[in-house]
Amino acid sequence: MANEEAKSVTDTDRTVDQLSSGGVMFRVQDLDLYYGNFQALKKINIEIPARKVTAFIGPSGCGKSTLLRCFNRMNDLIDDVRIEGKILLGDRDIKDANMDVVRLRTEVGMVFQSPNPFPMSIYDNVTYGLRCQGIKDKALLDEVVESSLKKAALWNEVKDDLGKNAVKLSGGQQQRLCIARAIALQPTVILMDEPTSALDPVATGKIEDLMETLKEDYTIIIVTHSMNQAARISDKTAFFYLGDLIEYGDTDRVFSKPADPRTEAYITGRFG
Amino acid sequence: MSNVRDRIKPGAIKRRQVVDSIFKALFTAAGVLSALMIIIIFVFVGWKGVAPFLPVYGGEQQSIWSFISGMTWRPDQNPALYGVLFIVINTLISAFLAALVSFPVSVLTALFIVKIAPRPLRAFFTTVVEMLAAVPSVVYGVFASGQITKIVDTVAGWFGKTTFGGNSLLTVSILLAIMIFPTITVMSITSISAVDRNLELGSLALGASRTQTNFKVVLSAAKSGIFAGLVLGLGRAFGEATAVSMVAGNAMTGPTWNLFDITRTLTSTMLSGLKETTGLDYDIRFSVGIILMIIVLLTNLAIQYIKRKIGGVTND
Repeated sequence: MANEEAKSVTDTDRTVDQLSSGGVMFRVQDLDLYYGNFQALKKINIEIPARKVTAFIGPSGCGKSTLLRCFNRMNDLIDDVRIEGKILLGDRDIKDANMDVVRLRTEVGMVFQSPNPFPMSIYDNVTYGLRCQGIKDKALLDEVVESSLKKAALWNEVKDDLGKNAVKLSGGQQQRLCIARAIALQPTVILMDEPTSALDPVATGKIEDLMETLKEDYTIIIVTHSMNQAARISDKTAFFYLGDLIEYGDTDRVFSKPADPRTEAYITGRFG
Repeated sequence: MSNVRDRIKPGAIKRRQVVDSIFKALFTAAGVLSALMIIIIFVFVGWKGVAPFLPVYGGEQQSIWSFISGMTWRPDQNPALYGVLFIVINTLISAFLAALVSFPVSVLTALFIVKIAPRPLRAFFTTVVEMLAAVPSVVYGVFASGQITKIVDTVAGWFGKTTFGGNSLLTVSILLAIMIFPTITVMSITSISAVDRNLELGSLALGASRTQTNFKVVLSAAKSGIFAGLVLGLGRAFGEATAVSMVAGNAMTGPTWNLFDITRTLTSTMLSGLKETTGLDYDIRFSVGIILMIIVLLTNLAIQYIKRKIGGVTND
């Protein structure tokens, strides 16, 4: 079934099902990941739905961020990493050596734990990804800057001073800028690695509200240490423990009737 | 568990206050002393350098205008001619030629060492560059007058030109380029290493290549330190006396535009024959020193200005 469906999916032409709400965006099959001799992920099988928010939770070192970084091949940057199994985006295994990693990263955006705006203007931050792809059309860039900043709910705060150094923005604004920067490339997926852990509650609230609207257009995978956050914003929750995917299901169900005692212990705060 | 509270002795307040005030006095004295040294040097150089243009100097009083605008330096004539403008131009040309070659090479070397070279090579290259920075200038001078002159003379031959034993503007510029290379490189290595790795990851995650990341993000984040390196490098290029004097040739007039022609810099003017001279010819060197300090200052300001312009950020 999967193959039939997947075959019609190409780079430029994705089936409606692929991108519509609830279709499968990523299909992870028997994924093992090793840092040297240490196995960080063990036989992971998970399907990430399109246009939903999927939360990865679990205690530190459980492998949730490692799995997140598999989706845009950021683990390539770490020496001595070995990955086995499959990660399918449509019919493409993104682990494939022939995979165009640059292209993949424009499709699968990422927002980091602490805001990391480049030390350049707001405008240049948002257009960075496009300029790296050789896009110089000023009218197009202007349009993208405005629409991306609007989608990231930052436009009204910065529209009068797009030449301002992004480093001078507040932490919450910086993180929304980083989201705008990722959106500018019109990705299909946005990965978020604890995007609010460096922010105050007000800024966190804004980012959470933002995710609610972003999932209409993008598939979002978020790693979070906050149970409340996962419960509030996600549709699906995956609980990881010591490199194993312990439990995965609808967020409401996972938080109300966890199937595994370890999940229950973690979400009720008894360990982690 | 043994009780540590017993060992925290009461009543030592007085002693601590005394120790604190002794050290405070020491630090203040050190600060005042170094500030005084700088002031004394400035006052001394300033006074000696300005004096030749004041009536108190008597019969040999110089015209400030002919000094600043002059294109001839002939202490051997009677009356002696001291015109510094062409020397200023020569100094700027040789230093900027050196920086023009050395700056890009240094920055690329630093980028290579920090970001591209395999890990074991990094320490090796860094050590080599640091050693280059520690070589005394007279050693560079001997190398320049023994080797660079020969090469320059040969190259001049290809263009059908002759040199004065290889002493030339080109030789000075090559020498200075070599001398400022480690200065700029070491500073660049330091600031490139200090760039937050998250910025790089952010760039790569946006689909930028390694090269794009290095040039667009790493270098712009390391901008301050790299330009500080350029300031130090140019400072060294302007201020280098010993080695430059060995290959400049000390032209009497100028400015020198021909790369194979001899030149004269502010420092070589100050240094050459310093020990054998007195009176006006000695004092006028302080005037040249003032000009040199002004040039270094103006150059620093110019680089600060350029730094702010590069990177397209309105307020830094």
